Amino acid sequence: MVDAPQPDAAATARFRAVMLPHLDAAYGFARWLTRDPVQAQDVAQEAMLRALKYFHAFRGEEARPWLLRIVRNTWTDLRTQKGANDQPLDVVEDRAAEGPDPEASALAHDRRRQVAAALAALPAESREILVLREIEDLSYKHIASVLDLPVGTVMSRLARAREKLAVELRGRLGRSVHGLPDV
Amino acid sequence: MDCPTCEAMVDAYIDGELSATESGAFETALAACPECRRRLDEAKAMSGLLRELPADPAPDLLRAGIERDLRAIAARPRERMRWMAMAASLIVAVSVGWVGGSITGREGTGEEAYVSTYLRVASSDHPVDVASTDRHTVKPWFAGRLDYSPVVHDLTSAGFPLEGGRVDVVGGRKVSVLVYRHNQHRVALSLWPGSGGDTTPAVRERDGFTLAEWRHGGFEMRAVSDVAPAEMTAFAKALDRATGEER
Repeated sequence: MVDAPQPDAAATARFRAVMLPHLDAAYGFARWLTRDPVQAQDVAQEAMLRALKYFHAFRGEEARPWLLRIVRNTWTDLRTQKGANDQPLDVVEDRAAEGPDPEASALAHDRRRQVAAALAALPAESREILVLREIEDLSYKHIASVLDLPVGTVMSRLARAREKLAVELRGRLGRSVHGLPDV
Repeated sequence: MDCPTCEAMVDAYIDGELSATESGAFETALAACPECRRRLDEAKAMSGLLRELPADPAPDLLRAGIERDLRAIAARPRERMRWMAMAASLIVAVSVGWVGGSITGREGTGEEAYVSTYLRVASSDHPVDVASTDRHTVKPWFAGRLDYSPVVHDLTSAGFPLEGGRVDVVGGRKVSVLVYRHNQHRVALSLWPGSGGDTTPAVRERDGFTLAEWRHGGFEMRAVSDVAPAEMTAFAKALDRATGEER
């Protein structure tokens, strides 16, 4: 086995310039994967260390999908190590609704809480793909590289995830939300 | 376009993954298909709701933790540098021993110093102070730099072309170092006058390096490289042969 080159000062400086700007995205993705702010920090920090370790293999492709893929793999590994001790759903949904919200309108604020809780309640497979598409705004091609899936699977999985989210949202928001008509 | 096809395209359409032609076809089909229009409206509405979720930036604590990691890694000396620093400290130890006269002649002594010489050769952009494949250039270069004149041979015919020479300080004494190339590898040969008859090269491996130690033609020879032991033996034999032919 060939040892990976040790990151040195020059590699670290380049890493800082290329990858560190995407720390918010890495943390945000980890936040939705773990559904827990403390675990998200652990995952993001470990992922950044791994990214630096593998940085010699980074060939100048788009940095954000490259980093998000490492975040997801880190999360998968840490979850396997610790065993699947996911938080109970009500805690998860409350957590998802926490966080800064500049919206002053109580109505809009409440709607966001419900949307966040609905997304948090989805199974990981649906949650991650919706976050990559709608929050990280990645193309199918980049989602495919983050999740290590064929592009065709990305499309069908995304359609299924949207159906699931629609069901969750209808349950939470009722008919009042415009644009989400009843079935 | 029938409805199942149209339905399958809703997601790709709102995600901007359809070509202009496909989008046109989808929009035409959509006009005739209320169910797909409903799906499209719903997906658009959900997309809007998800996109208005406030983003949670990375907490300061996390950012500080990563900064700490990065600084620690940037400040860490590279493995090879650390190795060389270690080897340099060993040279001091060897030179002290040399003065006491207890080091020379003992098997395996001071080999760190030769490995460190090799590392200086292998890791440097200027592995040699005099770069030449011509021994009539390299040999005179040592005159005035050393209190002895080393044997210098080009071993190109044996697969070890001479690259040049340098002077290194080993055990408190200036010694000549000849640098030979073998494919992508280098061999650093330190040599200085020694007393006693010729010996057979003792080749062994240590820490991934190959070391050879022998005496020939009145010179103590120490060679270090990352070539295989068999190649090191071939090198020593070729050198002895060249020296023998000259005498």
